[in-house]
Amino acid sequence: MKNAEPRVSRRVSLAQRMALAPYSLWAVLFILVPLVFVAYYAFTDDGFRFTTENITRFFTATSSLVGDDGTVREVHTYLVIFWRSVKLAVISTAICLLMGYPIAYIIARAAPRTQKTIITLIMIPMWMNFLIRTYAWMTILQDTGLLNSLLGALHFGQAHIIGTEAAVVIGMVYDYFPYMILPIYSVMAKMDTRLLEAARDLGCNSFGVLRRVIFPLSLPGVVSGVTMVLIPSISTFYISQKLGNGKFFLIGDAIEGQYVANNLHFAAAIAFVLMIILLVVMALMKRYTDSRVRGGV
Amino acid sequence: MKRAAKIYTVLIFLFLFAPIAILLVFSFNEAKSLSVFSDFSFKWYLELFRDNETLGALKNTLILAVCASVISTIMGTAAAVGINKLRNRYLRAAMDTVTNIPMMNPDIITGISLMLMFVFVGSLFGMSTSLSFWTMLIAHITFCLPYVILQVLPKLQQMDRSLPEAAMDLGCTPMRAFLRVEIPEILPGIITGMIMAFTLSLDDFVISYFTQGNGFQTLPIRIYNMTKKTVTPKMYALATIIFFVILALLMLTNLVDEDDSKKFRAAREAKRSRRSRPAREPNRRPVRIAVSLLLIAALLIGGISIYSSRVQPLVLNVYNWGEYISDGSDDTLDTIRAFQEWYQETYGVPVRVNYDTYASNEDMYAKLKSGAVSYDVIIPSDYMVARMADEGMLLPLNFENIPNYQYISEDFRGLYYDPDDIYSVPYTYGIVGVIYNANVVDEADTGSWDLLWNEKYAGNILQFNNARDALATAMYRDRLDVNTSDHAVWDQALAGLTAQRSLVKSYVMDEIFNMMESGEAAIAPYYAGDYFTMLDAQADSVDLQFFYPKPTNYFVDAMCIPACCQNQELAERFIDFMLSKEAAVANAEYIYYASPNSLVYDDADYIDEMGEDVMEILYPDLGSFRELYNQYAYRNLDGETLAYVNQLWETLKIN
Repeated sequence: MKNAEPRVSRRVSLAQRMALAPYSLWAVLFILVPLVFVAYYAFTDDGFRFTTENITRFFTATSSLVGDDGTVREVHTYLVIFWRSVKLAVISTAICLLMGYPIAYIIARAAPRTQKTIITLIMIPMWMNFLIRTYAWMTILQDTGLLNSLLGALHFGQAHIIGTEAAVVIGMVYDYFPYMILPIYSVMAKMDTRLLEAARDLGCNSFGVLRRVIFPLSLPGVVSGVTMVLIPSISTFYISQKLGNGKFFLIGDAIEGQYVANNLHFAAAIAFVLMIILLVVMALMKRYTDSRVRGGV
Repeated sequence: MKRAAKIYTVLIFLFLFAPIAILLVFSFNEAKSLSVFSDFSFKWYLELFRDNETLGALKNTLILAVCASVISTIMGTAAAVGINKLRNRYLRAAMDTVTNIPMMNPDIITGISLMLMFVFVGSLFGMSTSLSFWTMLIAHITFCLPYVILQVLPKLQQMDRSLPEAAMDLGCTPMRAFLRVEIPEILPGIITGMIMAFTLSLDDFVISYFTQGNGFQTLPIRIYNMTKKTVTPKMYALATIIFFVILALLMLTNLVDEDDSKKFRAAREAKRSRRSRPAREPNRRPVRIAVSLLLIAALLIGGISIYSSRVQPLVLNVYNWGEYISDGSDDTLDTIRAFQEWYQETYGVPVRVNYDTYASNEDMYAKLKSGAVSYDVIIPSDYMVARMADEGMLLPLNFENIPNYQYISEDFRGLYYDPDDIYSVPYTYGIVGVIYNANVVDEADTGSWDLLWNEKYAGNILQFNNARDALATAMYRDRLDVNTSDHAVWDQALAGLTAQRSLVKSYVMDEIFNMMESGEAAIAPYYAGDYFTMLDAQADSVDLQFFYPKPTNYFVDAMCIPACCQNQELAERFIDFMLSKEAAVANAEYIYYASPNSLVYDDADYIDEMGEDVMEILYPDLGSFRELYNQYAYRNLDGETLAYVNQLWETLKIN
């Protein structure tokens, strides 16, 4: 049977060899080339002449803010917007992780039938249109909304939430929460329970098991969960429009605003910068977990 | 610990399902309110089934989702097979990276990147429209593909390689071995991938928003446009239906799965007892599911293509503001249908109208300017008419085809934006006023723009959510020229808005309707006509009143034909029909804006229907409209000033 291996690989039909061709063509035309166009628009002006002005504008454009006490401050417009997007997205992702990790663990430890039911239930909200979900939160949080009617009926006074950063965070957490649970759960469900038993037998307490065994093993799930929440949160524009009452811009609003104002080149420049930054973050995160996973197990 | 886990699970579900439960309950609310439940009713479900625009969008969404999921499943499965066969490590890593891009990139970047490419390539070929159903389909296939591949690939890797080998040893051709042995083995992955693709396509908003072409509105985009305007429980009714359809589907697939696992267990036990039984009982059920899914898809696509290949009528593409035409709801005239019938009767040719809407002049301008879409009739505001005429984006009208133009009042001819009456036919006009809730606002505080800066009402004030309208309120207040190119004057206007910012509850456009009707806010600048729409829908605890501050904005919206028009004569006949008594009165009664058409404002029935109070506000005795208009209407700002104004707006928003 020594010659079995080469014989196997020869027995690949032409059709199978060609199977990858349509997708390769498609990926080049509609995944890679469009990204080149983002860069092309980002580095050209209206007449498609080369310029770095769009990119420089992102980093240098300033606005003078007048504080409540009348003092004037110069700030970098888009850096402030970008920083706010990052801040809200990181907070939302952290909340999703803190809320989602325990529930993923609980599900993974449940009986198989229960696991399936709970996972299906968690996925149901994802199937509802996200615009409607976000809108429902607007009717809950607004000043004359359901939350305040409830608080009023219980004589707890009023909560002013709509139009604040907190409202935007609530919207992000709600909309993207299942994306955090599912990957963590699927890693935990596959975890070898014998490892946990072994750790306990060797004298680990429950916290030790969690910190030294469960968490390192679930890290790939955590990373993909974090990615899947962070990316849509950082780039959203609908949630900030509806729950932020249009009071502040996020980076998604800035891109959409430039698109609506027909400044395609500047919109492309903002998108380009965002893309590069996310790329770097993703690469760093991948490197970190690769080393952790390899070192940890 | 166990109990804590249970409580925690319940809390999480409460969080996940409370908004959905609220949505379900309020879809049965008799009243329009989304926060006070009055009575049980199916009213909104009936409304939903009468809403042709939403039903059409639903149909489009399904067509798109079926096409995108079927194509991406076939191509993705083939790709997974190919990737699995790749032996070159670097090639394989490259494929993995490319496949990950659409999943890792934010939707907004995928959407923008595809849009830029389509628009650029379209303009290379000099196409009048570069975005269409096809570009949207390409976009959807592109973002669905990775999900299919990532579902199928692991199944291929888990598969026992000796199986296809054995089949080939037994005389199967590689193709036959693939179809008979490999496909059934990886079928669960293919089906999951297809379902994922279908739901992703169904739910996508962001990418569709950027790649949408004319005449093909999907449900998420329709919902987006609805949430910009008055949201009625109709939308909740739609969500409720979607919810139950999904629930039913999920329960069905779960049942099928359980059936399968039972069978599997039975087979395994049988195997244990009788070792001689063939190692593998081919599992037929997934095959059946797949076949029936494919059949359904084929039927749908077939039905749709037969439907669309019927006699191709003339097509007219109309692009109008949202809620700016009588649409047949509440027993009003369905203007579009009436036009189609009238045209067929008069000219003996069927015509189909594609009707799309936009939220702002700038939105419409951006779409047309980019060459992404093409329309035959548009209804921009005055300053935008001037700008577009200036840039050669409008066609001169042939007034022989628009005899009803004679009924347009003299007051509205030769206005600055079209001094020689070449490009435009006035549709409506109006004046910006201030709407307030008299149960909150003191009568004594009303009468001028100062009300919007009154600290007594901090947190109760709404402001326009677009640069020019918002800055103009500050400029009218300080009696500045709203058409200046002097940066210092604009700076002064921004200072006005900055001072107002802490008092403002929300920067809104059409969301104003809901917020004022429900009492969520008490003061808002908006258009006189819209005040009456709100009045009709105000909650019991709200008493909306209206006044004109001085000076204020006067505007005219006019029907025009853009240069990309495909059938000018048809477009002109449409404009003429819109001026006819039947259509013009129906539209004026529906949208509550003042009409420049004497067939409307002199019509006794119309005056009667509107009532004296309404007529007084809509058609105030201004002396000379032309004079006020010339002084206070918006003019087209030059590009440099426009850029500066937009920059000021961003400054306000980053505070």
